Amino acid sequence: MAENKPQENWEPKIVGIVCNWCTYAGADLAGISRIQYPPNIRLIRVPCTGRINPFYIMKALQEGADGVLVSGCHPGECHYLSGNLSARRKFNMLKNFLTYVGIEPERITFTWCSASEGDRFAQVVKGVTERVKSRGPAAKLVKAL
Amino acid sequence: MENAAAKLREEAKKLLAAKKVDVIIGYEKGTLPLQSVPSFIEKPEDADKLVWDPFCSQNLAKFAHDLIHQHKASQVRMKPEERKKKVVGIVARGCTTRSMVIHLQEKQYGRDEVVILGVPCTGYVSKKKAAGAAGGEITGAEVKRKDLVLQTAAGEKTVPLSSVLSDSCMTCRFNNPVIVDVSLGEPAPPMNPEGEYEKVNAFEKLPEEERWAYFTKEMAKCMKCFACRNTCPSCYCKVCFAEQNQPAWIGVSVDPSDTQMFQLMRIFHMAGRCVDCGSCIEVCPMGVDLRTFLKKLDKDGFELFNTRPGGDMASPPPLSAYSYEDKEEFIYNP
Repeated sequence: MAENKPQENWEPKIVGIVCNWCTYAGADLAGISRIQYPPNIRLIRVPCTGRINPFYIMKALQEGADGVLVSGCHPGECHYLSGNLSARRKFNMLKNFLTYVGIEPERITFTWCSASEGDRFAQVVKGVTERVKSRGPAAKLVKAL
Repeated sequence: MENAAAKLREEAKKLLAAKKVDVIIGYEKGTLPLQSVPSFIEKPEDADKLVWDPFCSQNLAKFAHDLIHQHKASQVRMKPEERKKKVVGIVARGCTTRSMVIHLQEKQYGRDEVVILGVPCTGYVSKKKAAGAAGGEITGAEVKRKDLVLQTAAGEKTVPLSSVLSDSCMTCRFNNPVIVDVSLGEPAPPMNPEGEYEKVNAFEKLPEEERWAYFTKEMAKCMKCFACRNTCPSCYCKVCFAEQNQPAWIGVSVDPSDTQMFQLMRIFHMAGRCVDCGSCIEVCPMGVDLRTFLKKLDKDGFELFNTRPGGDMASPPPLSAYSYEDKEEFIYNP
């Protein structure tokens, strides 16, 4: 994609898929506490991390995201009791698999962040942006047409 | 092997004559060399067509699933009390029974709807390997004890059977049926399961760019004919993601990323469900190396969650279960 070519002031585009009950509220808290974090992330709110189809992550990478962040409630704190535990298994295999085929592991990040961890959310976004920046614009699996 | 085939015909006849099954899914001699094709036997007198030899490559669990589901779909408009159950007899080797365990765990049909004729398996011949060994068009093939005699235009060529077996068979862990109703023959000797993950381990050690280069090279061969999906017993969705178009997962353009995406998604659907029967590799017209990638999921499933797909009825598929103690090293902590 044209805007994804390496440029002087290239900024990564990061898709954040976050759960409604913890991380989205955590992002909200970061916002109302006026904590600064990089504006590279675009949040998508889903009911639970267990609802995230692994295809979303692959598809985001194909459609031009430089990185994907998935975040939900800490294990044991899921609003639906076990959604994030099922998700954890899925994502563990997904991350291993995508790394195995040769996609940069820094592009896909999974983390937990609760509703009271506004500062942690800001830190996560900072860290993820840095990680993605270190690998430059995405070139693998990106649709050119 | 001959004994198993004779016993298979005899048992199939008995089951059909006693009306214990409506149809027997097995293999019959194909019209091409090196090929035994799926066969559907409904009359006891046709049971003599059944064969069991190292050319029986396809996983028949796919047909058991499809037949039962077609039958159920044909009865949806009947009164519940008038509906009839269709019982399918199936000639099953280790990997076929593992696929059936997956079907049963995923509640695709009941255990009473299938009669499993379990055959011990010593592996099937990979057509691609045999073609490579013959070095020309194969006009005929015959198994003589532990050798395979290939007839080509240039003459006869004998190769040891063990050298042309499919990769999946060479490192097979489950070459005897996991679940069985009628057992045909003594348990087969084990293959070489210790070497199962050799390729995956070697591939993991390659640098990232080399891995990606190999992946793109293999996927560039794929022409999205979906033969791998059509033959896979674990791919039974009525509407496959590959054909969903609102929204579409898979683009229809010639962009290489569309093909890569299809393969990544299909392979990832096999997480904890691939039994390594090798059917997808056997039917692939372009010879895409799918096994290197499928086997990685199998390895992860075993190392992370200690399950082998379809290994036994009691252990649930890894992605349908969870535990508080699951490994978490991949979680990012700033």
